[in-house]
Amino acid sequence: MSPLFSRLPFVALLLLAACKGSDAAHRRTLIDARDRYDPKSLDPALSTDVPTGRAVSYLFDGLTRFSPDAKVGPALATRWEVTPDGRTYLFHLRAGVRFHDGSLFHASDVVHSFTRVLDPSNKSGRPWPLYPIAGARAFAAGRAATVAGVTALDDSTVRIALDTALAIFPKLLAMPVAAVVPAKISADFSEHPVGTGAWTLVSWQHDDFVLLARNSEYFGGAPKLDSLMIRIIPEPSTAVAEFESGNIDLLYVPEADAQRWEQSDEKKALLTSAPALRLWYVALNTTRGPLKDARVRQALNHAVDVHTILDKLLGGRGHLAAGVIPPTLEGADAARVPYAYDTVVARKLLAAAGYAKGFDIELWVPQDPAFARVAESIQSYLAVVGVRVKLVQRESAAAREAARNGQADMIVKDWYADYPDAENFLYPLLHGANRGVGGNVSFYANPEFDRIVSLSRVEQDSSKRTALYRQADSLSFAEAPMIYLFFYNELYAVQPWVKGFVVPTIFNGQKFTDVSITAH
Amino acid sequence: MGALLARRALLAIPTLFGVVVVAFLLLYVAPGDPVLEMVGERADSATINRLRKELHLDESLPRQFAHYTGGVLRGDLGRSFITGRPIVRDIAERFPKTLELAGAAMLLAILVGVSLGVLSARHPGGWIDRGALALAYLGVSFPVYWVGLLLILLFAVVLQWLPPSGYGRPEFLILPALALGSRSIAFLARMTRSSMLEVLSSDYVRTARAKGAREKLVLLHHALRNALVPVISVLGLDFGSYLTGSILTETVFSWPGIGRYVVNAIGRRDLPAIQGTVLFLSVVFVAVNVITDLAYAAADPRIAYD
Repeated sequence: MSPLFSRLPFVALLLLAACKGSDAAHRRTLIDARDRYDPKSLDPALSTDVPTGRAVSYLFDGLTRFSPDAKVGPALATRWEVTPDGRTYLFHLRAGVRFHDGSLFHASDVVHSFTRVLDPSNKSGRPWPLYPIAGARAFAAGRAATVAGVTALDDSTVRIALDTALAIFPKLLAMPVAAVVPAKISADFSEHPVGTGAWTLVSWQHDDFVLLARNSEYFGGAPKLDSLMIRIIPEPSTAVAEFESGNIDLLYVPEADAQRWEQSDEKKALLTSAPALRLWYVALNTTRGPLKDARVRQALNHAVDVHTILDKLLGGRGHLAAGVIPPTLEGADAARVPYAYDTVVARKLLAAAGYAKGFDIELWVPQDPAFARVAESIQSYLAVVGVRVKLVQRESAAAREAARNGQADMIVKDWYADYPDAENFLYPLLHGANRGVGGNVSFYANPEFDRIVSLSRVEQDSSKRTALYRQADSLSFAEAPMIYLFFYNELYAVQPWVKGFVVPTIFNGQKFTDVSITAH
Repeated sequence: MGALLARRALLAIPTLFGVVVVAFLLLYVAPGDPVLEMVGERADSATINRLRKELHLDESLPRQFAHYTGGVLRGDLGRSFITGRPIVRDIAERFPKTLELAGAAMLLAILVGVSLGVLSARHPGGWIDRGALALAYLGVSFPVYWVGLLLILLFAVVLQWLPPSGYGRPEFLILPALALGSRSIAFLARMTRSSMLEVLSSDYVRTARAKGAREKLVLLHHALRNALVPVISVLGLDFGSYLTGSILTETVFSWPGIGRYVVNAIGRRDLPAIQGTVLFLSVVFVAVNVITDLAYAAADPRIAYD
């Protein structure tokens, strides 16, 4: 045998041995691997998805912000007042805040930032949080030269006038798209963002990682860690391997794996969770075939044993939904009882609607292992009461398009809050104004419901508003525009050496300023 | 040589034009609206209409096609709908990483695969031959993502020799290259073996042995060179497909290459990114094929292209 050939395996082993060694022990960088794909951009104006919104929340601040437990609080604005009619807000800005490039933050930056998001030439995909501002729509449509409603009164005060009162407006301003950018925007702002945030950008290697360094001048107190790395790991099993090797500190446990993690004592010790503002449901297109009849929709709710689905497929990680408002938000009605699993009632309702022999129907399923399992169980539950479900599995973009265009009878999906308020569930998911692309893929249209929700949006008194939310939720719940599934409690795995991490209830509610790594 | 290159380049033009047409049409037939992907879950129709207009998606198909091909001819692949970045820059960032991985996988495949093949052919039926055969079956039958996950489990989690995933220092390259190259190793080993066996039974090898040439010289100089011609064609094909993005390997190992780029683009219906990448990768594929043809000629002077 040739000497070279005989040595090959040996050489390979040597090579492997030389590479040994992990440096998990002395890091001052927290490595977060919750994102499965790269942020679109680091420009707040282009933020429409979770990885982007999260990254933007590290680099930038808005006038307001969310705490990890989803309370809205001051950020670049220290306080604000609203006129009794609810239409004009006065924001008092924090003094002495500097952008990462050293320039001072002024009230004019707020005006400029909002104008920039609404500017039609900016290709911003999500300007709607700023639409309530007077003149915003006209400006976005190119019919006005400025956004009439937003004015810098002086260096530290901004007045924002709204078209109509909107009680949740301060919450909208905590969304990534409303973050404040400096007046001077480089051509490459998306890659080299400059904000006021707790973290500054060091490097962004696309599809690989985003590395951020602490902003020691941060007005909210400098982060305890030196740096924060967002690693993009598309494959969940790989992320788990990285976690087990101690290379990453924070992991989102996929829904389909949650149960397995909870069964191992060693792993269970690392798990942490909080009730997320996330509803899982099956949208029923109320304009299609048998689904037009509320009795049929109620029957479908009675026919599915949601409790067992949640227990067996998602490890019981959640609350059964009796309405669209998550139990942690004002307006949720703890006394309302979910649809009971009762095939007799379901059959009776179907018979009353004239479908004693059942019917054929399609259930669309976007590509996702957890959705697929849930859809398959729904299919078999519905078969028991004679409803013959054909599963239509499509890749997510295709399924979403079909649902928005009204081509899907039913679709299993989830809804993740953009801001912590019942309005963020009632209005997009079920208000008549949002049918289709707005988020209401049930195409539910009930004038009474719409009236109550519209009233709640302008109501300034919070207890009255809560009562309206509850009333609207009851009304739609009775008409069952969806199969109500559950509110899922997200599961995170956190390394034992990470201290101070609190699972955020809302996706951009954790800025890692109070998180640290202890010696281990 | 020059004439050959020129002719192949000319022949590539209709192929690439076909690629552009097919990539363009397929995307318009496929479900999934790019603008809906841009605006996210909750949107308003005013924004959707404005974006559709800005991106020329409201124009007729022939006009859109003319617009796109016009850009391509000027060397402009456009900007991503989703990120707003120029496609050319995105490709320039990712392709070298894919090239690195493909090169390493190929090198590994040649070293291990061809060596195993030669050794197997030397003693057909011997323990090396049987071992290599078993290995080859495994290599060909196991899906690459599964091999990848197994490698991560063994070398990263259990032994802790190598990092599970990522890009950067050389140690990050080893596992993905091994996973990606495993199929080629197996295939090349079998190819080389059978080709070597055929050559070894030919007259000139007998002559070489008869004249007293040393066995090593006979194997590596006389036999291997001739045995390599079919092997090169397999190598070329594999290399071409590695370069066009090893989607699964790149995903399993979080390798920031072109395969993941195009998969992300497809998921988000990022039309310019998909079209630009498909076009670019077709050029790469054609180029690799031409190089493979040239390599034949180098390995076997009897092959001439005219």
